[in-house]
Amino acid sequence: MRPTSSRLHTVDNPKKSTTLTVMTGLFTVYCLLPLVWLVINATKSQADFVSSFGLAPGRGFALWDNIVDVFRYQDGIFSRWLLNTVIYVVVGATVSTFLAALGGYALATMDFRGKRTFLFVVLGSISVPGIALAIPQFLLFAQLGVTNTPWAILIPSFINPFGLYLMWVFTAEAVPSGLLDAAKIDGAGEFRTFLQIALPLLAPASVTVLLFSFVSIWNNYFLPLIMLKDPEWYPLTVGINQWNKLGSTAGNGALVQNLVITSALLTIVPLIIAFLSLQRYWRSGLALGAIKG
Amino acid sequence: MDIDQARGPDVGASAMADPGVARRSAPTRKRRKSRTGLAFIAPFGALFLLVFVVPILYAAYLSLFQERLVGGTTFAGFANYGKLIQDPQFWDGVARVVRFTLIQVPIMLIFAMAVALALDSMRVHGTRFMRVTIFLPYAVPAIVSTLMWGFLLGIKYGLFGSLNDALGTDINPFAPGTTLISIGVMVTWAFTGFNMLIFYAALKAVPRQLYEAAAIDGANEFQIVRAIKLPALRGSLVVTIIFSIIGTFQMFNEPQILPSMVANSGVTTFYTPNLYAYHLAFTGSQQGYAAALALVMAAITIAVAYAVQIRGLRNATDQ
Amino acid sequence: MRLSRKTRLLSAVLAPMLALTACSGGSGGSGGKTGGGTGGGDEQVKLTVWSWDGTVAEAVAGFQSANPNIKVQVANAGSSQDEYQALDNAIQAGSGVPDLVMFEYFAVPYFAIPGKLADLGEFGVDKLKADYVPASWSDVTVNGKVYALPSDYGPSAMFYNKATFDKAGIDKAPVTWDEYYEDAKKIRALGPDYYIAQDTGDIFFLLSLIWQAGGRPFKVDGTKVHIDFTDPNTTRAVAFWQKLLDEKLLNTKITGWSDDWNRALNDGTLATQTMGGWLTSTLPERAPKASGDFRVALMPQWTQGDKVGAANGGSSFGIPAAAAHKDAAFKFLEYFAHGGGLSSRVDAGAFVPNTTVLDNEAFQSKVNKYFGDQKVGAVLAEATEIVGTGWQYPPFFEWARTIYTDIASPFYTTGKGSLAGILQQWKQRCVQYGNEQGFQVD
Repeated sequence: MRPTSSRLHTVDNPKKSTTLTVMTGLFTVYCLLPLVWLVINATKSQADFVSSFGLAPGRGFALWDNIVDVFRYQDGIFSRWLLNTVIYVVVGATVSTFLAALGGYALATMDFRGKRTFLFVVLGSISVPGIALAIPQFLLFAQLGVTNTPWAILIPSFINPFGLYLMWVFTAEAVPSGLLDAAKIDGAGEFRTFLQIALPLLAPASVTVLLFSFVSIWNNYFLPLIMLKDPEWYPLTVGINQWNKLGSTAGNGALVQNLVITSALLTIVPLIIAFLSLQRYWRSGLALGAIKG
Repeated sequence: MDIDQARGPDVGASAMADPGVARRSAPTRKRRKSRTGLAFIAPFGALFLLVFVVPILYAAYLSLFQERLVGGTTFAGFANYGKLIQDPQFWDGVARVVRFTLIQVPIMLIFAMAVALALDSMRVHGTRFMRVTIFLPYAVPAIVSTLMWGFLLGIKYGLFGSLNDALGTDINPFAPGTTLISIGVMVTWAFTGFNMLIFYAALKAVPRQLYEAAAIDGANEFQIVRAIKLPALRGSLVVTIIFSIIGTFQMFNEPQILPSMVANSGVTTFYTPNLYAYHLAFTGSQQGYAAALALVMAAITIAVAYAVQIRGLRNATDQ
Repeated sequence: MRLSRKTRLLSAVLAPMLALTACSGGSGGSGGKTGGGTGGGDEQVKLTVWSWDGTVAEAVAGFQSANPNIKVQVANAGSSQDEYQALDNAIQAGSGVPDLVMFEYFAVPYFAIPGKLADLGEFGVDKLKADYVPASWSDVTVNGKVYALPSDYGPSAMFYNKATFDKAGIDKAPVTWDEYYEDAKKIRALGPDYYIAQDTGDIFFLLSLIWQAGGRPFKVDGTKVHIDFTDPNTTRAVAFWQKLLDEKLLNTKITGWSDDWNRALNDGTLATQTMGGWLTSTLPERAPKASGDFRVALMPQWTQGDKVGAANGGSSFGIPAAAAHKDAAFKFLEYFAHGGGLSSRVDAGAFVPNTTVLDNEAFQSKVNKYFGDQKVGAVLAEATEIVGTGWQYPPFFEWARTIYTDIASPFYTTGKGSLAGILQQWKQRCVQYGNEQGFQVD
């Protein structure tokens, strides 16, 4: 952070700093490598992939062929996985963000018995290594009759402890208590106050939580692996992993790294789109400041 | 780092409540009725009970039993716990994740905070592009990042091999002594962007007028960062630290995948406690023992998280 | 039954939870495919098959048209260990148990001994015995009963890169291990990247070497397991491999099935792979650039003039004891692993231990372009016939092979210790674990 005066520039449009750009840029390169590698290798056929250097192009350009093959392989099951994932993500992220906002708002603005216990139970529970819980969770869900159905993925995805904590912080930051009190004086019920006053103020926070929920459900792997055995319900991660494992475990399974890489690229694209379309909501921080000030 | 798992949204890293702020606004809020608060938290709480608490209770119950392939399950009291306390493989893993956490988490969070501040300062060219790019690794599925790092750090066909050739060095990133560092590079890569966003979102919530006022008072950027921005990040920092500790203590993906990628990297079946639990429950049919391990590990995690952030949490919950 | 107690307790805990979820609208069961009817007579039966062997699906269409009342769904429920765990979970939960499941040979006793697999004797499986290579039949026989039907086989053979051999001045495949050792030195002399083979602690390979030398380190009888790595045959095989490692004639950096391994096969720097015959179908994808370079030979012999082989891998299908449609499952199993569906799988690349296929003239005389127009089928058929019988895996082999790496890794990274020492330690761990698991192991 270079101390520079901003005589000619405003706070919102300060002078650009080359040093800062280079430093951040270096970090960006470190983060960008996956995409570069992924894009280059998605253009290679399987034969090219195993016989060319990772950052060099292959002999042919097979991106379109790979994409077509991804959608055709194993009777086109990829589209089914894509659809499943979209359903899991949209439903899961929406519900979990709403529940987290509701809970986080209550934690930040209300005082009630058992709050401290509640927080510690949540933190304590998520400290239990998940792997060891997978089998008890599976047995429990089998009792409920939901294993091998979408519910086995959706129900756990409704819970976002991290999102809950995040909403708690952000509510404390962003929702002025005076405003809530004013709403109550006007006769608004607690739930209505939450929906109409707090939730709009929490838009940037909700979007952040939504984004994290979105990505983590999108990448959810271990639980679906345990819960689902019917490929028709697989999310993309489990499906792609199985394609990968065919060729990377001993045996005569098909080696389809080109499809694994191309499908991975295809699954990242929606995430980038989601990110780009959600990020504009962060700007509402500005509007918020006006109210607070 | 942590296995993408039941906990839905990833616990792998990041952020939480600003205790300071919460405390500040507490008095007016105390008047609210506790019944409403409970009602608001109930949907989350009920599902949480179903997805986490009941399975944990069940695991606790299981931890009192010993399974055998021949002869079935027998009640064993606390024998599993007694065995675990004396299990050098378990403590080897615990020591490793503690060591890893002590070094990797601060590095990752410092990077994340520095990048967030840089992007928020608006003094960087291509802010929007960098913001997406730095977050991107978090969105890359684990199998793919593994294939990619296999290439980047590969010494025969990979980029690292080319680097070794160019510099005339002979460094193996996946030798028993260096593997943990490589894992650190992979984990930092995957989760810095995630933490950066938390900080970035927190900075975005700071009213711009504060900066304007400070600028009028003649404060330079450095002073603004110290006086306004860093305090605004305190709450997020508490959460990121706690969740990062929980995440790294549950490190699983990297050490699980590595052995299929490179040989003899020093990764054992008990490299991290979570990996050990996996092998006990999934290849060793020792569910009871794995459950005991998980519960002890949770206790250790909580203890460490407290030691590191005990004040932040107290403040937050004492309101 | 041991689970019912747990289950009841669980239900007691869960009853309020169930009510809760019902209230919050999360009622389950939609689209569920668990359980199923009994499916006798003309009723429509839906058969669930777990397989990561893609060739099984080839037989479905033919089977369904011959058996219109049976609908077969083949699902990849994970490869190897993922699938075994899923099966254990389903059995423990008492729901979602498939009707037919793929097992590697070493996994059959693990499920058979605790009674998790149906005894195929009920279905008259013994009639089929004569149509299988004896060694494969003994792989699926546990304590005198047959629990699975072999579906593919891994007779150990030596795949070698002729182009690399030529470069090193080697004019023929080694017939004995002594020749192999001499060839290893010649290939090593080609350059720093060249090795006759890799070894990073591959237990399946080491066991196949011991197997071929006549060692039978595991003896299983009921729940008794005897482990011994010190007999002269085992010792000879282990000492030989130790010599190659000591003289640094093997690549200890590249691990099998990794991306680096594919690349090394591709550029010819790994000259041989002594492995299951199933490598035939996957080698062309892994090493497309080496097309025409590879050949297949029998495993080198311990004694000049001998013809003894071993197996490495291979798999079978069994019917869980808790399966809903056992009769239909066996019907389909017999169809794709023995009857009318076999040929479609062989055409799709499966290597099967059925004598009807192996002895078939067309199979033996078919030339394989990738292997320089060699008649690969004939070599592998011979490799299958000479597999030594009487080999057994301990019922906890899945666990044992996983921890083997822990024990072997220090030796491969530091060179301290020896293979014999590793095996001794391995035995100790197996004895301890096996006894804890209720077996009598010594």
